[in-house]
Parts: sequence; C-alpha cells; structure tokens
Amino acid sequence: MAHPSQLGFQDAASPVMEELLHFHDHALMIVFLISTLVLYIIVAMVTTKLTNKFILDSQEIEIIWTLLPAIILILIALPSLRILYLMDEINDPHLTIKAMGHQWYWSYEYTDYEDLGFDSYMIPTQDLAPGQFRLLEADHRMVVPVESPIRILISAEDVLHSWAVPSLGVKMDAVPGRLNQTAFIASRPGVFYGQCSEICGANHSFMPIVVEAVPLEHFENWSSLMLEDA
Amino acid sequence: MSLPKPMMRGLLAKRLRFHLPIAFTLALTAAIAFKYTVTEPKKQAYADFYKQYDAVKEFNAMREAGIFESVQPTGK
Repeated sequence: MAHPSQLGFQDAASPVMEELLHFHDHALMIVFLISTLVLYIIVAMVTTKLTNKFILDSQEIEIIWTLLPAIILILIALPSLRILYLMDEINDPHLTIKAMGHQWYWSYEYTDYEDLGFDSYMIPTQDLAPGQFRLLEADHRMVVPVESPIRILISAEDVLHSWAVPSLGVKMDAVPGRLNQTAFIASRPGVFYGQCSEICGANHSFMPIVVEAVPLEHFENWSSLMLEDA
Repeated sequence: MSLPKPMMRGLLAKRLRFHLPIAFTLALTAAIAFKYTVTEPKKQAYADFYKQYDAVKEFNAMREAGIFESVQPTGK
C-alpha cells in the first residue's frame, strides 16, 4: 500500500510492475536530460541583452533539432512497446477469477472447479481493528496462490468501475456489458491493496480491492472453507 | 593615439558557442547521474531482494503476525 509522503510507485509485487518501474526510471532519466538542457538555455537567453535580428534559416540546426528528438522518441518507444506487448501475454493461467464491479463493492467468482462467489465490501472506519488501514480494508479479500499466473475477467453490473492494484501493476476498466481480461503473477506472499479507479457515484472512494497472495496449499484450504460456509 | 576597434559582431554567436556545449554536457551528466544513482541501484536492489528471498520464511513470519485472513497464525 502507499505510505505517507510517498513520491514514487509502491514496491513491485509482480514481474510486470517491476518492468514498469524500470521503464518509468528510464523515461524520467530522459525527462531530466531534456529539462536540464532547456532550463540552462532559458537561463542563458534571459540573462543577456545580446540579440541577432538577421538569422533567416540554418539547415544544420534544423537537422539537429529534428534528428535528436526523433532519436529520443525512439529510445522511449522501444522499451515502451516491449512492455506493452509483455503485459498482453497471458500464458496458461492456473486460475481464472471474475471480478464484478457494483455500486459500491466488488464481487469475486472462482468458478474453475466449484461455484465460489462472495462480495467484498469496504470495512467502515468505525469498525476497523487496530492496525488495519482506513478506506483500504475489505471484509472479504480476493485470495490467490502466490507465484501462479492468474487471469482476471473484469466487468460491472451497473456503471463503469475500474479494478486496480498498483503494486501488482494491474488496472482494467470494469465496463457493464463487456468482459475485460488481464493477468498477473504475485511474486511474493503478502496483502496488496487497490481502490476503484473509475468514478462510479457517491461511494467511489469506498470500494477498495484487497488481494491476498498465499502458498497454494493455504489457498486450497481457504477455498474449501469458503465453499463450506457458502 | 587610437584605440583598437572593439569586436562588434557575432557576440550572441560567441555566447552560444560558449554556453551550448556546457548545456549539452550538463544535461548528459544529469541523465547519467540519475541512471547510476537511481535506476541501476533500484534494479540491483530488486535483484538482491529476490536472490536471498525465502518465500516460505516470509510467509510464516507474516502469518504469525496475523496479517492474513485466509490463514490464521499457528496455534489459533
């Protein structure tokens, strides 16, 4: 989850998010390069009274300030497209979960083997236990096995929502009447938080997503228990 | 006695010839500094983290701390 006064991304918990982090650093490096150059030139230009009113054209400078930006754009585009196609690969998922957005909660369905489904409502602030996070905790978490490719099918029952978990590098719109697909692998066990990312009404800020990644045997125990309780 | 004629042309060009190489050098330095103080250490930090990472040990520690809801601490 995010922590106070945080500036950068949350720590990556999936291989895709690690790639996104490194790409962001690469793009930011280029941003600093261009910003430093432009800022220096601006300061140099405003701190002089010298002018040249007689420049008409210059083929050399035109070539330079066309080629250099083109090269920079290619240096940004190549890793960007690489990650874009990487994110689209869904290789043999071990599990498929359906996440449905409602006003104002998520529901999860695990229908690969049995019919397991449950709703996930935010825990109100007054009901939080000590150590729990305000506006982020949910009564039922989406439990997944760690280090397994998980396919998520996302849709909505009423208005637009968006299923997002920043530390897993996942965000996908939940559109009524449409089934969107995304996938992730949780690289390590833990609890990962997200929030609805598409305005959906009064309680848009109060329908969080909590993903709990545990070893496979514990996931199987949990799903058996949930089926018994249902 | 007459003074030598001062240079009256090309003053802006001279200023640009002085400052533009410095600008490009500074920009490249900023980019390289960012790469080797932020980008590379971050990649190395992630690589080092997972090199020594024991998922079972970390899971058990989190379990005993009561972080999970699907798994209770041993003894509960």
